[in-house]
Amino acid sequence: MSGLRRTQLIAVLCLLAPATYDAQVRSALPQKGSAAASAPAPRAVLDKYCVTCHNQSLKTAGLTLDALDLTQVSSHAETWEKVVRKIQTGAMPPAMLPRPEKAAAAGVVSWLETELDRGAREHPNPGRPTLQRLNRSEYHNAIRDLLALDIDAAALLPADSAGYGFDNNADALTLSPALTERYLEAAAKISQMALGRVRGSPAPESVFVPTDRDQSIRFNDELPWGSRGGLAFHYFFPVDGEYEFQIRPTQGGAAGGYRVAAGDQIDVSIDGAKVWTKKLEGPLFAGRGRGAPPADPTDPAAVVAAERRLAGRDKVVLEMLRFRVPVKAGPHLVQTYMVARTEAFVEDLFDPSLRREPYRAQGPTTLSSVTIAIPPAKNAAEAPDSPSRNRLLVCHPATAAEETPCATKILATLARRAYRRPVTGEDLQVPLALYREGAAKGGFEAGLEMGMRSVLVSPKFLFRFEGQPDTVAPNTPYRITDLELASRLSFFLWSSVPDDELLDVAAKNTLHNRAVLDQQVKRMLADARSEALVENFAGQWLHIRNAASFRPSPELLFHFDDNLRQAFERETSLFFDSIVRENRSVLDLLDADYTFLNERLARHYGIPGVYGERFRRVSLPADSVRRGLLGQGSILTDTSRSNRTSPVIRGKWILENIFGAPPPPPPPNVPTLEETRDPRKVLPMREQMAQHRANPVCAGCHAQMDQLGFALENFDAIGEWRDIYVSGAPVDASAKLPDGTAFNGPTELRKVLLNHSDEFLTTMTEKLLTYALGRGLEAADAPAVRQVKREAARADYRFASLIQGVVTSTPFQMRMAQERAN
Amino acid sequence: MMITKIALPRRTFLRGLGATVALPLLDAMIPAMSAQSKAAPRFAAVYCGNGANMFDWTPPTDGAGFTFSPTLKPLEPFREQTLVFTGLDNYQATDQGDVGGQHPRAAPAFMSSVHPKQTEGADVQAGTTTDQMIAQQIGRDTKLPSLEVSVDRNDVVGACDHGYACAYMNSMSWKSPTMPLPAETNPRFVFERLFGSGNTPEERLARSEEDRSVLDGLTQEISKLKSGLGAHDRVKLGEYFDAVRDVEQRIAKSESTNQNVAVPERPSGEPESFREYAELMFDLQVLAFQADITRVSSFMLARENINRSYPEIGLPEAHHSISHHDNHPEKMKAYSKLNTYHVDTLAYFVRKLQSIRDGDGTLLDHSVVLYGSGMSDGNVHNNYNVPVVVVGGRDLKFKGNRHLRYAKGTPLANLSLTLMAKFGVPAEKFGDSTGKLDDFLSGV
Repeated sequence: MSGLRRTQLIAVLCLLAPATYDAQVRSALPQKGSAAASAPAPRAVLDKYCVTCHNQSLKTAGLTLDALDLTQVSSHAETWEKVVRKIQTGAMPPAMLPRPEKAAAAGVVSWLETELDRGAREHPNPGRPTLQRLNRSEYHNAIRDLLALDIDAAALLPADSAGYGFDNNADALTLSPALTERYLEAAAKISQMALGRVRGSPAPESVFVPTDRDQSIRFNDELPWGSRGGLAFHYFFPVDGEYEFQIRPTQGGAAGGYRVAAGDQIDVSIDGAKVWTKKLEGPLFAGRGRGAPPADPTDPAAVVAAERRLAGRDKVVLEMLRFRVPVKAGPHLVQTYMVARTEAFVEDLFDPSLRREPYRAQGPTTLSSVTIAIPPAKNAAEAPDSPSRNRLLVCHPATAAEETPCATKILATLARRAYRRPVTGEDLQVPLALYREGAAKGGFEAGLEMGMRSVLVSPKFLFRFEGQPDTVAPNTPYRITDLELASRLSFFLWSSVPDDELLDVAAKNTLHNRAVLDQQVKRMLADARSEALVENFAGQWLHIRNAASFRPSPELLFHFDDNLRQAFERETSLFFDSIVRENRSVLDLLDADYTFLNERLARHYGIPGVYGERFRRVSLPADSVRRGLLGQGSILTDTSRSNRTSPVIRGKWILENIFGAPPPPPPPNVPTLEETRDPRKVLPMREQMAQHRANPVCAGCHAQMDQLGFALENFDAIGEWRDIYVSGAPVDASAKLPDGTAFNGPTELRKVLLNHSDEFLTTMTEKLLTYALGRGLEAADAPAVRQVKREAARADYRFASLIQGVVTSTPFQMRMAQERAN
Repeated sequence: MMITKIALPRRTFLRGLGATVALPLLDAMIPAMSAQSKAAPRFAAVYCGNGANMFDWTPPTDGAGFTFSPTLKPLEPFREQTLVFTGLDNYQATDQGDVGGQHPRAAPAFMSSVHPKQTEGADVQAGTTTDQMIAQQIGRDTKLPSLEVSVDRNDVVGACDHGYACAYMNSMSWKSPTMPLPAETNPRFVFERLFGSGNTPEERLARSEEDRSVLDGLTQEISKLKSGLGAHDRVKLGEYFDAVRDVEQRIAKSESTNQNVAVPERPSGEPESFREYAELMFDLQVLAFQADITRVSSFMLARENINRSYPEIGLPEAHHSISHHDNHPEKMKAYSKLNTYHVDTLAYFVRKLQSIRDGDGTLLDHSVVLYGSGMSDGNVHNNYNVPVVVVGGRDLKFKGNRHLRYAKGTPLANLSLTLMAKFGVPAEKFGDSTGKLDDFLSGV
């Protein structure tokens, strides 16, 4: 039993944690060999060390261990899982009472686990998932795979609430009338986009440049060499036609007006080919950044005149930056940027904070947004050739008589993919009825649009139904069908619907064969769609998603901009992706000898020799402070306040996401530590934190949490290295856990974490299983977690082995029958 | 329509990540809408999490003609229609044996006066909230029974307390004890909820006819599916069925009422600054009241535990951090400054309501605006004597210009019950209420 684990118990004990899985169950690999054989009998150990309090007369914590039959461990699995966890973490017996020898404790744990696991094998309890709705990213990916259409889901659907850390939690995915309206709207819009039908007057769409993006340099790989600023984005052009573009420069300072500078050149390219260019020239731009100021600022008439000039000038600027370009239907990369000039922008070099809006009113042209207006229906070409139409229109009626059979074929093909199973005549009834209604009014494609709309709002698409054989009695476990397994697989690995190959295999009922399943999993992980694991699983587990909303305080942090924000997100995403793609050991997450950097990020980290905007793999020496997740800016910033670091939050993050032992929230009526706004007046962090240990109510948890955080104190609130605080005081990153384990700085912290890799592996397995099942884990899932870890151990904990363990686990392959509805 | 209209007042501009997009919301449409407005009563609830510095919140004098406190100063121009309540307890938000959850419980308890159950699963439970009780009474004839909005992202990872479903933190309005109403953060979605899709009356009509057909088919599909399901799945699918029914009714109502409304240009994107974002959301609520699309709204102006910072008023520290002032004078000053800023944002809404003619008076005369927090001193998560103010209600015979002080232990539920009574809700008891606030009613 490790020291760290024992102290974790204090975290558990210091308050009665809510009765969640985390607090109930935590287990490790069973000990090698049979510890139980040499150790005292479990009953004797329990009687000696546990039953003193947990007996039928005292009933401490409601637990009566003397009453439980040790020959029937699995019939009280929940209780025994709790006992396993309490002993394993050292939470029990309490510190002041006698404890069993390590070997004896391990023996009991191992014996109990063996019994529990056997019970789980004999009487599997897969749990009962709630009917799961597709969340926003699943919906997005499903549309991409069904219709070859990359929609902007955030512009169509609201974000989903999360449960147990993930937004695919079935219980949290409710369906309100407001969301139903969004689904109707999305279905209409998507059907029209896919068919290339422009109806009425579609609203123009704008894409914005974050205000704190540094536009003095080339932003990223998707923008051409020799460009600076601007933005590149993938946009779906629904029809062949003339699109109207409107570029808007950034607004100036308090005086208003666009900030444009004479001589700057703005270009627009589509898929790398320049389609428009404009050089800003003429008397209009003489004022370098704004209209001529009023001659006498105290004269109201002069001010009004100046404002008029400004408004007039802005109008002309907007007209200059508005143009029409013919574009073929389909997805294209739109690039909008300034042509870089050699002139140096001195102010940028001195203080990057000056790049921020609205602090700088003058300077070179920067862009604020690009608006694209879809051509009105009459200007759009009929029936363009687009990837969506090619995917969707599996036949083309030559005569009126062929229309209905062809529509049936098209809608049946779509419905099979959307409903993730072979379709029946009944499935097509409603879509075909709507097809007929639409076709009667507006012809074949109008009918198809209506039919598609009905498929896209159908509960068969939006919910993941899993059937229940009539022969199964309520509350007994049964194996799900191969088709259902296919959906579980694809939503787990791709956050999307199964593809045709997976569906075909499932329809042949061969997917449950281990060899076929393994082969499909391998194929799916190798497929680009498995990037969803990075975006959705790692994005939430490791909080990568939060990077987009990082807003460090501009007063205190001068080194942050959108370029860095994006780089943070990219680094951790690429890093996790490399674990997936290269099937590396997941322990590399803690200590890999490489990471991914571009120049901006390398500069932030103080790593020399990385040039340009492109991200590339960079080797890290053994003593590099940047090795592993805890050296990455995304996590270091996410766990900071907007204007300073917080060892508490960082320590909590480690407990929660590495050790899987989230500390309970602070007890009521305990004020937090004083937080002085001015960093120069801050009490040394240590002194502040010492107050935690002074108060016994706080000390239980903070003695561990704060210390873990201390080791990261050299990283400031945006993950930049520092040796001294703003006050001039040196940073002290030494830490000591209550059990005496001492370490200093991130490199040594990493070693401590690696010494406790077992907790990390359990945490990661639990998180993966939670995500795969779309529900919170229960005590009954603990044997599955142990099983996944055992199997992964044989493959050095390579990523695919964890995935394979999860998809072959009882809760993933089975479900518990529910009561029948009347 | 995509081109910025230069002449529009600054306030109607929507800053979306730095760009300015024209949003001629209110001014352009007043004539079209006020014609059909009825002088119906409206109710708006505005919630601001993390409590307030009560030393600067509580007015120094009681009764009629009270002296405005520093924090409430922005409401002084509306003195005649302002009622400040001191001494009301949001008792049901207290821990009562739960572990943690001080923040998640505060908002659901604020308007339900029921203790929110500690759970992270599907069994979330609080109580039907005041706004929803009122909506049941006065929201039956409008297109939307109620409107729920927020300016805080609900998808920040790790922002919900361990052991508490995110719904507690995100929802101040509960349609039933088990149905938290999600608040919409995207101004464009709110807009389309109010006005539907399409840019002309013809487009909107065509769209709603099509939607009706799609919904018809959907109802059939759901009914058929239901028969083969297990009990749990059936309940979940029932949620969709009810929602579809709801939308059908809404479409029917909008077809009969909203044909001639001049629909303003739809907003795109979310404004970057808090103030502009909040004002836009207030504008949309005013618009909804004005056009009689709904009579009840709730607005989460600042979510509990939120970490938004306000550099624009010199507060780079996060809201939640500021609220934990530890009685440090400087930090308490910052706390008050932020509280005042929020009240000032509320005053924008009140001013807007007052500026719009409605029936025989202004929209404010016919509206009751409830503003408050589920905590008093956020530093210690205190749920006693929470900050509450009511503005408006002249038409319901509310007598403003008063600071009412209540005896220790008076539940906030008494205010809710009283407000509900004024809107005709026939309840005798609400949550942990012990009676109505008679002095508030009598205007003594």
